[in-house]
Amino acid sequence: MKTQKSNLLYKALSMKKALIYSLTLLTLAACEETVVLDLEETTPKIVIEGQVTDRAGYQFVKVSKSTNFYASGKTPRVTDATITVADDLGNEYTFVHNPRNHADSAGYYLPQTPFVGVIDRTYTLTVVAEGQTYTAQDKLNRITTIDKLEYRIDEDEREDPEDPGRFYEVLMFVKEPKETRDYYLFKTYRNDSLTYNLDTDVYYADDELVGENIDGFPLPIFYSVNDLARAEVYSLSRDAFIFYRDLDKLLNNDGGMFTQPPADPRTNLSNGALGLFQVSAVVSSEIRINE
Amino acid sequence: MIRFLVVVTLALVSTMARSQEKVTLNGYIKDADNGEELIGVTVYIPQLKAGTATNAYGFYSITVPKGTYEVQYTFVGYSSQNVTVTLDADVSRNIELGGEAQIMNEVEISERPLDENVIAVQMSKNTLNINQVKKLPTLFGEVDIIKNVQALPGVISAGEGTSSFFVRGGGGDQNLILIDEAPIYDASHLGGMVSVFNADVIKESELYKGGIPSRFGGRLSSILEVRTIDGNNKRFGVTAGIGSMASRVMIEAPIVKDKSSFILSGRTSNLGLYLKAANTDNSINFYDLNAKVNWRANNKNRFFVSGYTGRDKLSFSDGEVGFGWGNSTGTFRWNHLFNEKLFSNTTVILSSFDYLFEIKDPIQGFKWSSNLQELSVKNDLTYFHTVNNEFTFGYHITGRRFSPATIEPNSEESMFEKTVFDKMYALDHGIYLSNQRRITDALTMDVGLRVSIFQSMGPGKVYIYNDPKDNADPTRVDSLEYGSWKSIKNFVNLEPRFGLRYSLSDDKSIKLSYNRMVQNTHLVAAGTVPLPFNTWSPSGYYLKPQIADQIALGYFQNLKDNMYEASAEIYYKDIQHVTDFADNAEIQLNKDLVTEYRQGDAWAYGAEFMVTKKEGRLTGMASYTWSKALRQIEGVNQGREYVANYDRRNVVNLNAAFELNDKWTFGGAFTYSTGRPTTVPSGKYEYGEYNPDQVSERNGYRLPAFHRLDLSATLNPRKNATRKWKGQWIFSLYNVYSRKNAFTVYTRTKKDSDGDIIGDGTQKEARMVYLFPFMPSVTYNIKF
Repeated sequence: MKTQKSNLLYKALSMKKALIYSLTLLTLAACEETVVLDLEETTPKIVIEGQVTDRAGYQFVKVSKSTNFYASGKTPRVTDATITVADDLGNEYTFVHNPRNHADSAGYYLPQTPFVGVIDRTYTLTVVAEGQTYTAQDKLNRITTIDKLEYRIDEDEREDPEDPGRFYEVLMFVKEPKETRDYYLFKTYRNDSLTYNLDTDVYYADDELVGENIDGFPLPIFYSVNDLARAEVYSLSRDAFIFYRDLDKLLNNDGGMFTQPPADPRTNLSNGALGLFQVSAVVSSEIRINE
Repeated sequence: MIRFLVVVTLALVSTMARSQEKVTLNGYIKDADNGEELIGVTVYIPQLKAGTATNAYGFYSITVPKGTYEVQYTFVGYSSQNVTVTLDADVSRNIELGGEAQIMNEVEISERPLDENVIAVQMSKNTLNINQVKKLPTLFGEVDIIKNVQALPGVISAGEGTSSFFVRGGGGDQNLILIDEAPIYDASHLGGMVSVFNADVIKESELYKGGIPSRFGGRLSSILEVRTIDGNNKRFGVTAGIGSMASRVMIEAPIVKDKSSFILSGRTSNLGLYLKAANTDNSINFYDLNAKVNWRANNKNRFFVSGYTGRDKLSFSDGEVGFGWGNSTGTFRWNHLFNEKLFSNTTVILSSFDYLFEIKDPIQGFKWSSNLQELSVKNDLTYFHTVNNEFTFGYHITGRRFSPATIEPNSEESMFEKTVFDKMYALDHGIYLSNQRRITDALTMDVGLRVSIFQSMGPGKVYIYNDPKDNADPTRVDSLEYGSWKSIKNFVNLEPRFGLRYSLSDDKSIKLSYNRMVQNTHLVAAGTVPLPFNTWSPSGYYLKPQIADQIALGYFQNLKDNMYEASAEIYYKDIQHVTDFADNAEIQLNKDLVTEYRQGDAWAYGAEFMVTKKEGRLTGMASYTWSKALRQIEGVNQGREYVANYDRRNVVNLNAAFELNDKWTFGGAFTYSTGRPTTVPSGKYEYGEYNPDQVSERNGYRLPAFHRLDLSATLNPRKNATRKWKGQWIFSLYNVYSRKNAFTVYTRTKKDSDGDIIGDGTQKEARMVYLFPFMPSVTYNIKF
């Protein structure tokens, strides 16, 4: 319950979510068990995860396929796709499959020539895989800076920590520009490892209901002494924001009792591909927790 | 409109002119013990083979040739009275009927004429006898009229522990739920575990599923009318009870004996106590308050003022997260008798619904509130022309204000800004006339027409979108400003209503009905169950009225001198502009919510079979329903046809009560239904750290069938002659064989029982949520 609480507060940024959480609390009495669904074979679809940012080394495209619900292990990778990213000035970057031949990087494509994205430019992704062409466009929107991170002890968490010793809360201070319509994706790291409070959490936000000064917005996870806390904020286009909002609904749907029935997220990819081509500006900040 | 009223007037004048040789006998019929007005008492003149029944206000009127007659007043559970009346002029005669069988001093009120099932023109109507309901098993010991509505043929519940219901393929928002004629916008406590109707104050409850009378409008699929008792106008009485979930107390007393009475009733949940005992920092509470004052000024004028207020309050984490919702209603009613034949009921109704959600935190704190108010004035008239010819007509006007949401920061440092979502206003008029006429001895027809005029009104702003269906990136290109009372959009709809009964013999009849219903106030549910937080919206610039046409045919038969009632009905319903949300819609706090609505077609058909036994030591009901409910909406399920969430192929309901002796009564209820359709994954994929499902066809999978057996026993300890009060114990067993009925099924990454991910986190699993295993409860009632 404790972790749910802090999680719920975090999600206040998308308040709607908090509501649904409260309602699920209503069914506290509910019991559950695993059941086996009698499902048909999947018709596999191409899944594309593309990312272009204004930060060196953050550019990649991953191509895979969907698989049966009950399959185990990684989903099938597509390793022979032809991939290019072009900007609106006519620059074109070719992506090659797993150039460093990492065993666990099958399906990942990196730019042949390193490049970084530029604010306000629009990028077009073209993927040719298994005889089909998939395209997507996204724009690199500007982003505000993280003024600072601070940390403090969360007393409730110290009394009853989910993980022993982890009861430091990290607060983020940001000035949100009100004159533009902005969308954000948050990633939080504990000692360089991308960490979520719950595996279905998606940390995204728009700025519709918030004011200019966000003074002490807590990160969704707790830290212990000597941990390095890092926050990354990605700017999103409207399309990408919609994708993450839909993804969040999909990952957290309750089977259509109170929430909507699940649906595939809307995407900027053409030709029925699943996934997203995301173009973002990235800012980050880090702080080490000292006693 | 004017022409329509002229027709009404002409009809009245011409019929008045032809009835000079006849005289009228009328009056009110009430319970001799507590002065409660009795609905549906049969008034019969054997010499003429003519009869009528008292209306919802206990009033009857019968017009016959001059003469001396013996008049029989009969009613189930009451001693009949035969009165000889000489009618050489109009006569008013009030009758008090005494109860015969009295258990715990309650009069066994059946509230219906004995052969109503067969003789009434009205079909597709179920009456819930509250005394019968009280003998049946309960969940947590709370007698709940809605849970019993959910067990009627043609009615489907979303699952146990919910207060929403779905009638003949209609949505959860297509039921007009009335308490003393005032609408209740959300009938649930605790998300539906119990409904807002406290059984102590319920007099009777009727559900209209088809052939809906012209006096009702505004919802497509059903009318659930709950009337509260008037209060004992003979003597002071207190009823109290304590159950597993809630405690109740009710006081009723005369103000002026035989003339006026009041009733005050309250119920509050006991759950707070358990939570305190469990030492959690959560709190869950609800309460209901009902009050009514009843004043019979004279035989021609009666007044009622009735009010209800109820609220749920929940808070978590020591009040850091709180939410609540509540309904309040007020009804002022004036029954007036213009003359022997013209009866009028004038009502002023207030209803309001609101919800609040709050997070208390210095930075992330906010208060989110939303509300809806309505004020109605209704004038309903009945003109008893002759025994065989009766007119009802009236005019209703309702104003509504919708405040979808206000977000306010609740601390100085809060990151949120105050945001007020645009209010919406609407004015709703209904004008109707219907005529029930006996054509031949066997054939009676009821023909009616309701005209509904709905005005979406200013003050308000309507935004024009580049593409009003683009919900991913709604782009406002213009706005239209409307001043106060300026019409944004008007909808005028004609709603014909028709009913016919053809008697095959005294105890067999065939009935046919048709109704068109129009709905202008919509609550679109995100999932299956509408939540208090789903926001009601009026028809307007973007949202069209929903329109339903239903035709129903039925066969009705009573057996063994009305001891058994049997019916078989088939229906077909077609709905235009049924409203749903687009796939992936953003429902809460969306300023461009209009871009998320999608309207399309729905159709439903089915057959319902029912047998009821209303008399004897064993009473009960058995029903079977076969039905189908389908939808096709552009933008939902990629525009393909799909079965509605509330589609169930087979539903069986059985319930019975058996009075063993004065001391013990036993009850039982069994329900079976085909599983709820749900959407399951057709596969999965990887995106970042996530393993989302690939989604298949909407509602393409059936959850397992739902079935459950409940039992109850009521103990009325032998009366101690020296004691003035009477106690009663009710023991209930819910889900006797502890069936795990699926409430819902969702998917997640495969986890162990501690919630830790198993293996590499690539495997997924489906989890079935179920609510109530075997649950016993005890309730103690006391009355003096």
